[in-house]
Amino acid sequence: MTDRFRPGARVRTARHDPPHHTRLPRYARGKHGVVVEPEGRHPLADVRSQGRDDAPVEQVYAVRFAARELWGEGDHHVVLDLWESYLENPEDGTS
Amino acid sequence: MSGTHADALISRQVRRLETLLEDRAVVVGAALDEMLDAFLSGATPLNGARVVARAWTDPAYKERLLADGTAAVAELGYAAGGVQPQRLRVVENTEDTHNVVVCTLCSCYPVRLLGPSPSWYKSEAYRSRVVREPLEVLREFGVELPSTVAVTVWDSSAETRYLVLPRRPAGTGALAEEELAGLVTRNGLIGTSVL
Amino acid sequence: MARINDVGGMQGFGALDTSDDTEPFHADWEARVFALNSALVREGVYNLDEFRDAVETMEPSAYLAASYYERWFHAIRTLLDRKGVVAMAELDD
Repeated sequence: MTDRFRPGARVRTARHDPPHHTRLPRYARGKHGVVVEPEGRHPLADVRSQGRDDAPVEQVYAVRFAARELWGEGDHHVVLDLWESYLENPEDGTS
Repeated sequence: MSGTHADALISRQVRRLETLLEDRAVVVGAALDEMLDAFLSGATPLNGARVVARAWTDPAYKERLLADGTAAVAELGYAAGGVQPQRLRVVENTEDTHNVVVCTLCSCYPVRLLGPSPSWYKSEAYRSRVVREPLEVLREFGVELPSTVAVTVWDSSAETRYLVLPRRPAGTGALAEEELAGLVTRNGLIGTSVL
Repeated sequence: MARINDVGGMQGFGALDTSDDTEPFHADWEARVFALNSALVREGVYNLDEFRDAVETMEPSAYLAASYYERWFHAIRTLLDRKGVVAMAELDD
């Protein structure tokens, strides 16, 4: 299993709003960030939260976001731990 | 919901639930007692303070702590416990960076090293505001950072738990490791105070 | 789904009460609820993500009105009812 993203990679988070538990908070959906490092592989919480034991095990990445990207202002950064399937390559697609 | 009436009601319901679970051989009361004893005796900010004091006095340890927090705290006897594997990530405050930890979605927190979390950490006020306006929040804790300091907020959204390595206070060069540990506060380990 | 627990960046919650309460539990029942949840997860009755989901799916005004361990107790009851271990009604007077 190779990681899809390397430290320093630019990523965009999913814009989805799934009808179940997810660990991608609404403030960070559809936002551009930079991968800090992989955090380890874990079962996808979205599936595990439904009481299923067939959750895919994915790499979780620490991803760093500029406050301006999240809020339109501010000089700080926010780091979130995000499962691989929450992340897209910003070059992919047009959405 | 608060006050004695609500408290009495929920207290009765919890007792009834314990009885039912015991009758149905799901969970026995003695196991709960044991769990609580272990939790209350084993989880305290003194643990985090010991880790910090060691990092301040032992550069090689500090390097290991920042590279692999989970393994480094295990060296001091704080093995990762709990029902799910958790990674510990230590983030270092320096002259020009300051870190602060939150869990906006719930209340994730490295309990073993910090003890039970304070009410403010679980509050909507803290969880909603610190990712948006960390400087204002820090100000409410009495922390004024110079404008040259870059702030990073770590929002624990998965299975990693974060611990802040505070800056060692000036003028403490003569202190022994144990005395240094006495200077470390719980808020210092969360990043809502500067030692 | 963005649920009521997902408060990052939301406005209106006001100033912090920064008093650092060192007592982990404010009533005996809170300690029992805490221990019950650990035990039920350990016994495999439900997993931690199911527990989080059950807290998050509280009716929003009830979530905001509830104390921290009231939310936990709500989640425990919901899951035990759903799994057929203890029915909601069995805990009522």
